[in-house]
This record gives sequence, structure tokens and C-alpha cells, in this order.
Amino acid sequence: MSAVLPKKPAKNWPLILGAGGFLLLMTIWSGTGIGFSLSELVCNIASGSRLLQESWPPDFGFLPRLVGPFMETVNIAIIGTVVGGMLSIPIAVLAARNLTTGKIVWFADRNFMNILRTLPDLFWAMLFATAVGFGPVAGALALSVFTVAVISKLWSESLESIDMGLPEAVRAVGGSWLEMIRYGAIPQALQTYVSYALYAFELNVRASMVLGLVGAGGIGMILESQRANFEYERVTMIILFVLVAVLIIEQFSSYIRNKLA
Amino acid sequence: MNTAKGAIAFQQTNVVYPNGVVGMKDLNLNIEPGEFVVIVGSSGAGKSTLLRAINGLNRVTSGTVSVNGTPVPQKEGRELRELRKHVGMIFQDFRLVKRLSVMSNVLIGRLAHVAGWRTLLNLWPEHDRAIAMRALERVGITEKAWTKASQLSGGQQQRVGIARALAQEPAIILADEPVASLDPVTTHQIMRDLVTINQELGITTLVNLHFLDLAREYGKRIIGLKDGELVYDGSAKTVTESDFKDIYGREFTDDDLLNEDAKL
Repeated sequence: MSAVLPKKPAKNWPLILGAGGFLLLMTIWSGTGIGFSLSELVCNIASGSRLLQESWPPDFGFLPRLVGPFMETVNIAIIGTVVGGMLSIPIAVLAARNLTTGKIVWFADRNFMNILRTLPDLFWAMLFATAVGFGPVAGALALSVFTVAVISKLWSESLESIDMGLPEAVRAVGGSWLEMIRYGAIPQALQTYVSYALYAFELNVRASMVLGLVGAGGIGMILESQRANFEYERVTMIILFVLVAVLIIEQFSSYIRNKLA
Repeated sequence: MNTAKGAIAFQQTNVVYPNGVVGMKDLNLNIEPGEFVVIVGSSGAGKSTLLRAINGLNRVTSGTVSVNGTPVPQKEGRELRELRKHVGMIFQDFRLVKRLSVMSNVLIGRLAHVAGWRTLLNLWPEHDRAIAMRALERVGITEKAWTKASQLSGGQQQRVGIARALAQEPAIILADEPVASLDPVTTHQIMRDLVTINQELGITTLVNLHFLDLAREYGKRIIGLKDGELVYDGSAKTVTESDFKDIYGREFTDDDLLNEDAKL
């Protein structure tokens, strides 16, 4: 009855100890590099706890004044998603190897996408702020670029995996390149497009708050001003409010995305 | 239905694929307007290559293919689109836009006939909608016009494929293994549809088939290909068992017949 198990292979101790030791050394090296010390952290915990005490309870009286700025944050995110979402379509199509119009166009578009993705949203906010001044418009423009970076890369990969039979059939009836894209390619990848656009919207709501910190308007700006005035009970209120709002948006978005899948 | 004639001519045509495979070898072939031709041969014999050379989906390496005396353009562009406008194609895997309605799929056959800005905005002229509806009538599925293509059976989907080709008001229809994914009953219905369309509308029709009994039952003229070469060209009435053996290069089995009881 008792099955004979083959002998359990010995553990590779040199590898385990070597890898563990390497990670430990890397951590110590990095910690000293940035001047991080555990003892200082423990000594400063007192001021941390004072901060926490001052932050509680949340200032619920502040709530009505949050609705307007939060709506502005959502507006920035919506404009960013719509403008960026539309711009992503041609950029993604030209970056898909099976659909692009030529090697040079493909190469240029790929690299353009890579540059967009390399630069962070904050950089774009600063750039547009210099161009159009600090405020919600700069934020919306920055998020448009950010949305293009998110959607175009993901969607161009979806487009590369479509069945090329249908685009060929559109070609065979005498359809042009644009008609092939419109009727042969996009219908096959429309669901993933909507799904990525919703995902980009979720990211944009969060990103637009970060952009508010640097003056791009919305609730991030209120958060920054209250923090600068040491109104920690209000800061807590803002964080709670944003937490609930983001959770609701994410639930809504993932509900739709599941329906589409 | 239209005035364009569907004459096809191959002159010393060769197709060699980039991987070195020979798809067509020194083909000389003339097809008159209004003919119904069945092309047979084992897989890899060059049946698809022949059809796809006619509408420029495959390039030829040397020699010429011409439709109505005009050589098939060998690059994408306005001239090739103009030729394809009047050449319908039917595929083994139907190639419909699954999430769109039957009507939208049939309208795709009108793409080359309607201004580009209209097709991109999905604004189809009444005239073209009427043509699409007539094409659906001809294959007998008007009641499915607003059904999503994905909800149709295989046979119904192939009918939509035929209607899409008819909506082009074509001079030529190329059917690449149109019944290979269908059951025997549906197969006969689709083949009868193709024959009827050929007879009533005078559209030159080329059908690739791999079932020998079907080729014999529906073909008027049979063309046999083997390794890209023309090895048989004659009437379906006089084709013999040994001709088929020449085409296939082997004894044939029940797998080559749709109806296992059929005798050649």
C-alpha cells in the first residue's frame, strides 16, 4: 500500500545562502547609500505618532468643499481619457506590425510611443503648465498624453493578434487601407479597446490627483494647500473621500470590463 | 445585373513563394465569361494560388494574369482596387465581421462602389442598401438581415459570404473551398446556390473543391492541378477515374468523397 517515493533531492544550500546573502548585502548597501538608519527611525517615531494624533478625527465639516474640486479632478480625467483615447487609435494601428503602412512609419511610431511612455505624467504636466499656464487645462493635456502612452502600446499588441482573414476579405472586395482598418481590423479589437480605455480612465483619476499637487487643479491642489497649512484633520478627510470615490469608480469600471470580456 | 465581362487568362504564369515553394508553374489557361469551373487537386497543389492570383491577393513571379484583357496590377493601389471591385471572393472560413449584423456584412461588398468618407462614417446610400438587400434575397436569408453574424449557423454564414460577393455586382466569383467547413446537406445547398447564380446572372465562377464527387456533380469544366501545374482540363462529364488518379497522384479513398456511397 505504501508507495515508495523517490528520494527527495537535496536542497541547493549554496544557491539559497548565496542569493539570500546577496539580497541582504544589496539592501545594506542601498540603505547606507540614502542615509537610512533604523535607530533614527525609532527615535523619530514620536513625531510620527503626533502627526497621526493630529490627523484624527477627520474633519467632516470640510466634506462639502471637496465635491467641487473632486468633480474638477474627474473632469480632467474624462477629457484626458477621451482626447488621449481618440489619438491612440491611429498611433496603435500604425504601430501594429500586421496593419501598418510601411516599415519606416512603423519604426517611427514605435519609437514615438516609447518616448511617450518613458516620460512620466508629471513631466508632461510641467511642460503643458509652461505652455498654457498652471491649471486644469494643463492637467487635461498631460493626461491626454499619458492616456496615449497607456492605450496605444497595449492596444497595438491586441491588434497584432487579430485574425488577418477578415482584413484580407475587405481588401479582396476592393477596400482601401482605411476601409480595411475600419471594417476588417477594428471590429475584432473593439472590446479590448473599450477595456483599455476604462483602465486608462481609472489610472487618470488617480494621476489627476497627483497632478493637482503640482498645481494642475482638482482635488490634489486642495490636498496640497491643506497639508501646507498643517490642517491634518482635513487632509484625512480628503484621503477618505478620495479612497471611497476611487473605489466606486474602479468597481464601476471593472464591472463594465467584465461584461465586455 | 452588370455589364462587366469576366474573362480570365493566364499566360506562362509562375508563382514562387518567398520560402521557395512553387505555387504555380508555367500555367496557360483561358476562362471565358460566364463559365463555371471547378478546380481540384490535393492540398498544396496550387488551387488557392490560382484563385488569389486573379484578384491580386498573391503576386505572380513571372508571366501574366489578365482579367478582361487587362493585366492584374502587381501592387496595392487604385488600379488593383478597381479590378477587385468586380471580383467577388468566398472563403472557407466565411470571414464575416462577427459582431456586426448580416446587413452590415453584405454592405462591405459595396465598399469599393461608395465614396470613402461615406463608408468610414457608415453612411450607406439608399441605392447601395437596396443592392445589398437584393443580394440577401437571392441567397434567401432576408429575414436574418438584422441578426448578428455570430448567431448564424455555418451554412447561413456562408450565404452571407455569397451575398457579400453578390453585392459587389461582380463579373467573377472566386470561391476558395467554400464548403470545406460545412456538413453534407448544407454543402449541396451552397453548391446549388453557386450554380444558380452562375446560370442566372452569367457571373464567371471558379470554385476550389477537394471532394471529387462534388467536382463531378457541379462542375461544367474541371481543372486539375498537381504541384502547381495544370494536369487536367476538360469537361466534368468525361472525366474518368484515372484522370483523378493522375491529378492526385495516388489511389483515392473514401476521404476524397463527400458522400461515401457515391461511385465515380
